[in-house]
Amino acid sequence: MNPRRRAVIDALLPPGGPAGLPGAFETGFEEFEAEFRRDAPLSMSLGWLAALWVASWVSPLLIRRLPPLDRLTEEDRPRALEAMGKSRVYLLRQSTLLLKMVTSLGYGAAPTVRRAVGYDAG
Amino acid sequence: MRVDGAAVGGFDEAFDYVVVGSGAAGATAARALASTGRSVCVLEEGPAVDPNAFGDRSWDAFKTMFRDANAQVARGRAFIPGIQGRVLGGSTVINSAIVWRAPDDVLAEWAALGLGDALPARELHRHWDAIEKDLDAAPTPPEVWGGFNRRMHEGALKLGVRAEPTRRFVKDCRATARCLTGCPSGAKRSMLTTYLPQAEAKGALIVTGAEARRIVVKEGRAVAVTGRLAGPGRPAFRAAARRAVVVAASAIQTPQLLARSGVRSPHLGAHFMGHPGTPLTGYFDAPERLWRGATQGYDAVHHRRDGRFKIETIALPPEIVFARLPGAGRRWKEMMALSGQTAIFAVQTRAWAEGTVRERPWGTDIAYDLTRRDMMQIRRGLRFTAELFFAAGAKEVWPGIYGLPERLLPGQEALFEHGPDDPGCYSWILSHLFGTARMATRASAGVVAPDFSVHGVSDLVVADSSLFPTNLGVNPQHTIMAVARHCAERLADRRPR
Repeated sequence: MNPRRRAVIDALLPPGGPAGLPGAFETGFEEFEAEFRRDAPLSMSLGWLAALWVASWVSPLLIRRLPPLDRLTEEDRPRALEAMGKSRVYLLRQSTLLLKMVTSLGYGAAPTVRRAVGYDAG
Repeated sequence: MRVDGAAVGGFDEAFDYVVVGSGAAGATAARALASTGRSVCVLEEGPAVDPNAFGDRSWDAFKTMFRDANAQVARGRAFIPGIQGRVLGGSTVINSAIVWRAPDDVLAEWAALGLGDALPARELHRHWDAIEKDLDAAPTPPEVWGGFNRRMHEGALKLGVRAEPTRRFVKDCRATARCLTGCPSGAKRSMLTTYLPQAEAKGALIVTGAEARRIVVKEGRAVAVTGRLAGPGRPAFRAAARRAVVVAASAIQTPQLLARSGVRSPHLGAHFMGHPGTPLTGYFDAPERLWRGATQGYDAVHHRRDGRFKIETIALPPEIVFARLPGAGRRWKEMMALSGQTAIFAVQTRAWAEGTVRERPWGTDIAYDLTRRDMMQIRRGLRFTAELFFAAGAKEVWPGIYGLPERLLPGQEALFEHGPDDPGCYSWILSHLFGTARMATRASAGVVAPDFSVHGVSDLVVADSSLFPTNLGVNPQHTIMAVARHCAERLADRRPR
């Protein structure tokens, strides 16, 4: 992943925080993302890249900051992404959902994350 | 016998019947036809997956067993994901195996359309009896309810509303809550583990990785199915049908296949109907172990007739639950940390909306927009769901709806009824799809005739939910199977030409 895209994922799921939940990149997310882009249908893969681009270049504007996202402070980055998820513009909200969906697909399946939230698959 | 289309070259063989699709309709029809001693070939576009290899990662399941890796969407004012299996056994491999007979009021609607003889209630009940016996239909037993199903039971008792354990085609459920990614214990009676092996045992040939592209029609009669196999170079195949071609490819694929094969009707691909659903999350102050229990083990049917909706429980793995939680960064993780104390109930509505399914150069185009009436039903259903949650002891309800607060407390249920009218404010799932080749007595009103053949083409039969003339309002697998069984019996009784 290039640094700009990494910054988006890092802002969504940074290291540290509650219940021992790791950061995205502590769960092998980079490998999952490569696998996802290899195996996903083209429309899904392009949608993912578009959502990352929108998060990087549009979300900062929603909190009146200049893009890209990786130039924002650590505090402002999640604020910008939250603003995108609450935008009046449907496509921005959908981009956020797509971003969170794909990120969750990798992150939520990681054993460390599942253990942290008490998931005990049968 | 089974052939993996990804591992062989092309083939050109003849059978009595060629069945396109191996889901609830195709597998049921194939088994019934193979039982008559005739030769049957089942063509399935997706792969065969070994039930012992079912994992618990959603992405692995999506990319192997779901159409478009679960990215198929209907477009309208909202993008609505439409879930379909693309695997041997079809959607029965990835659904919750819920058993509902078509309600009497729906059968009465079909009879009023002049289809009482084509889809006779008495015959359908005979088929339902047989299928329920074959597939061990039973209400979900309390010992596998888990916390989330039990919560709905308790909430419904407290409110005094009609709700009941979900009847399912499951035996000896291990409560793994993994129906979505393929039952790991073999408890679910999917077509993959029941009717398809039984059809094989009676001599049916099953070809996976075989995409049916065209039905060959000669002098007004369907004579073969042609298509491409999944192997290197996509070799061509041809399966000739001496007696009939049975199309059971789903309400999305069937109209596209018929259209490619030269069937012309203004109703083909039109009247696309379904059950749009939207979830609510209830937050409890005790761990609910959301992921333990029968995936969908309880449903509230109190408003099925007067409100056209029912409420179902559903257990989902963390990677699916997380995506809908609000927040980003630390706040998103805080919500994730609470997810073990949540349960999900979903409103499933018998929508009035009708859309279209068309094949475009870039792929399948599904146009579907919920009506104002649908939105009113949904909002009423959401309010009722919140009431159920609070009656069950939930401390908060998390709507996940743009325009409503992130968290609602007891007493705020009425907010749902005044919620947004725009479908784009909600998150949706569209399941249970019908109507795109509907049955009608006249060609001017539908695609399929009362004898299940396509109007104007002999020996071309449709056996799946495409032919349903109206929206069903309950989970359709059981009715799809009964209709397919009925169709196959009629077909087997027909004299060959």
